[in-house]
Amino acid sequence: MKVFRQGQPVLRGVDLTIERGEFVFVTGPSGAGKSTLLKLVYRADTVDDGRILFCGRDIARLSDDSIPHLRRNIGVVFQDFRLVPYWSVFENVAVALEVLGLPSKIVRSRVALALERVGLEGRGDDPVRVLSGGEQQRVAIARAIVNEPAIVLADEPTGNLDPVLALDILGLFEEIHEGGTTVIFATHDRTLLEVTPRRLIVLDDGRAIEARAGLTELSHALAHEGSANDHARAHDDVSGPLRIPGYDDLDEEDALALFGPHAGR
Amino acid sequence: MLSRALRGLRLQLGTQLLSTATVALALLCLAGALLALENAGAWTRRWGAPVRVTVFLTEGADQAATESLRGALAALPEVEEARFVSSAEAREALGRTGTGDRTIAEAPVELFPASIELRLVPSAVSADRVAAVAARVRRLPMVAEVETYRGFTERLSGMLSGGRAAMGVIAFGVMLCVLAVVSNTVRMSLQARMREIEVMRLVGASPSYVRGPFLLEGAMLGALGAAAAIVVLGALFFTLRAHFEASFGALLGMHPEFLSWGVLALLLSGGAGLGALGSGVALRRGLAQA
Repeated sequence: MKVFRQGQPVLRGVDLTIERGEFVFVTGPSGAGKSTLLKLVYRADTVDDGRILFCGRDIARLSDDSIPHLRRNIGVVFQDFRLVPYWSVFENVAVALEVLGLPSKIVRSRVALALERVGLEGRGDDPVRVLSGGEQQRVAIARAIVNEPAIVLADEPTGNLDPVLALDILGLFEEIHEGGTTVIFATHDRTLLEVTPRRLIVLDDGRAIEARAGLTELSHALAHEGSANDHARAHDDVSGPLRIPGYDDLDEEDALALFGPHAGR
Repeated sequence: MLSRALRGLRLQLGTQLLSTATVALALLCLAGALLALENAGAWTRRWGAPVRVTVFLTEGADQAATESLRGALAALPEVEEARFVSSAEAREALGRTGTGDRTIAEAPVELFPASIELRLVPSAVSADRVAAVAARVRRLPMVAEVETYRGFTERLSGMLSGGRAAMGVIAFGVMLCVLAVVSNTVRMSLQARMREIEVMRLVGASPSYVRGPFLLEGAMLGALGAAAAIVVLGALFFTLRAHFEASFGALLGMHPEFLSWGVLALLLSGGAGLGALGSGVALRRGLAQA
């Protein structure tokens, strides 16, 4: 559970399991808690009650020293791109590798590869402030995937883009997912949800409603069960952990690499 | 880390230059005071060293006993020369330093006590040793007074101690000034680079990775300020010394020297250290708010 104001939980009773290599849409009206859910995963925020398991460890109880290790395994893309305007395209992408202390030769080659994947090959020297919105979002995606993270979180990544560009960007996330990366894509754009039949998690009034095969199944489910609120109330007593499994087979060495030596259990 | 710190300096070049100039001005005051103190110290050591002692004899001292005393004093290892000066010679010597009137030359010879003038081996004897010998000689029956000429140098040493205390106050003021300037500059830099910090944290940068460039930036700012202060002070000092070298030599009996390499290194490292400290102060508050 996550509460911002006394007695008004943003998320409550959310019990989700996201498998390794899944592509999941998270949708819901503004203020439903989509961004909060993602923030809880990359520990920009903490739960007031409950657990978030990643590689068998509770993210909510990670020590401050372990948070950087967690984030090195999570790529995040935002609606407002979150790029450094006075840096070049290369610098904006390379920062994700530089924090790992990789040699500059490896950084250069991996950044070039990431830029190629997002269709920005040869644009490394361009200052990001001269790029279009779609190009800036591609830079942000390149930054999110350059260190080959286990999960990519996308928080309304198409919110500032026109419909055609939005579909392009969605296509990029599809390609990333095809490479085996888990993608959690938060959006309230119905067009995107209709284009790609993916597992859908609807957040409403702080609760989560699920449909395994996208909007069509969700509509059917809601029609059968009366209303989303009724369905949500049926889940009121569920307050289990938000699990992101598929990593439980990792040994201690892998876990150390993911969370560092100060990880809490 | 260095490249990121340099990038930060370039990003707000105007502010950084202004801050460096302010730090340089503060450190210039400190370096100037140090320069004055170092030269005053050297001058005191030069002129404060005991080089001359006069042993005044009682009236009617026996000539054989006087010669015996002169021989004993001349045998001391610290004494280069021991010379007997009679009352007549003393009157004549004093008359030569006057304005030419006959008052001294015509004064009764008894007014001028005979003495033994000691010239000491320069820098081979301490003031304490001279004071101890003077105290012993003063107790001899034929000795009226022993003048070691320490009054002036003791006053000078007192002034020097006061100067050192003032230097402490200046150093403290300069330290506060540098800390405030660097701290505020880094705080402004932090504000301007909030997005950069946010991105670094987002991709998993450790706290030390985020703080490092800002600390280095503060250290560079302090070191640059110190270097600028040294350059300005050096230019002023060597220009003035070139113009007034002869006057300084005649007036002070020595040539002023610039700050030693050790002091220069201390100023540079002190500037860098203060800069890093100021940056650390800004980071404590700034990063918590980021």
